[in-house]
Amino acid sequence: MDKTKRLVLLGLLVAMAAALHVVESQLPMPVPVPGVKLGLANIISLMAIVMLGWQDAVYIAVARVGIGSLFGGSLLGPAFFMSMGGALASIGIMAYIWNNYRGTFSLAGVSLFGAAVHNITQVILAAVLVHSLGLLWYLPYLLIFAVPTGLFTGFAANYCFAKVPGAFGFKN
Amino acid sequence: MFTKADKYLAVILITLAFLGIGLNVYYISGDNGREKSVAVIVDGQIVKTFPLRPGYTGEFRIDGPHGYNVIEYKDGRVRMKEADCPDKICILSGWISTPPQQIVCLPYRVVVKVIAENATDVDDIVR
Repeated sequence: MDKTKRLVLLGLLVAMAAALHVVESQLPMPVPVPGVKLGLANIISLMAIVMLGWQDAVYIAVARVGIGSLFGGSLLGPAFFMSMGGALASIGIMAYIWNNYRGTFSLAGVSLFGAAVHNITQVILAAVLVHSLGLLWYLPYLLIFAVPTGLFTGFAANYCFAKVPGAFGFKN
Repeated sequence: MFTKADKYLAVILITLAFLGIGLNVYYISGDNGREKSVAVIVDGQIVKTFPLRPGYTGEFRIDGPHGYNVIEYKDGRVRMKEADCPDKICILSGWISTPPQQIVCLPYRVVVKVIAENATDVDDIVR
């Protein structure tokens, strides 16, 4: 991929991820567990890992969380660090699974890993922030919802790849 | 596009989650019958404890550097009644009454925790 094309693609992905991040923070979730999110921006992280590799996925996630929390008004607050930590940790595990176990796990499986690790990281960060280990009891409730939301983002990414022009050279 | 390993992963995650919830519920039910109290923790410091029993009603206000929280306790239950934090997750948590349940207001670093021991009679504890 040449330099200009990569630059344009990066810019587009950052814009889409930031928009999804903002939309998601305004979206009410009809579940009894506070803190459950769809993980829409994770679709972009997943696509970036597949199309560009984990380094560019990290760039996009950092820019996305920065821009997204600037619009949401939570820049450098606790929510910012939890978004950042969750996003980076989930990109780490998703890139690892994608690079090493591509055939075994489909995009949906990779996304499941990402969703689970995202939740685990955020609960640990929250427990550290409020100095309360008891918060870890909250994790199983979040993990239950990580399965449907993780599958959702995985299928969404897969669907995106099925619809975009084949120029990215991705086949599943 | 949905492989066998994906299915196993989903099933394992759900099983682990339910195991965790089972443990949590078991842990909660094991603490029933003892005297309960509430600890209000700000930034890791206990700023207030009070007993949690029927007929003991009141409110406790925390004014932090960023904003405020109002905790209401009534008939053996406690909740976050008001707060001016951005996400209001603490208020949405609702009433809690059994240890080790807790309400967390992450933006203000406030934790309201139900603990299974007697509250001290002093008004404030400084550590």
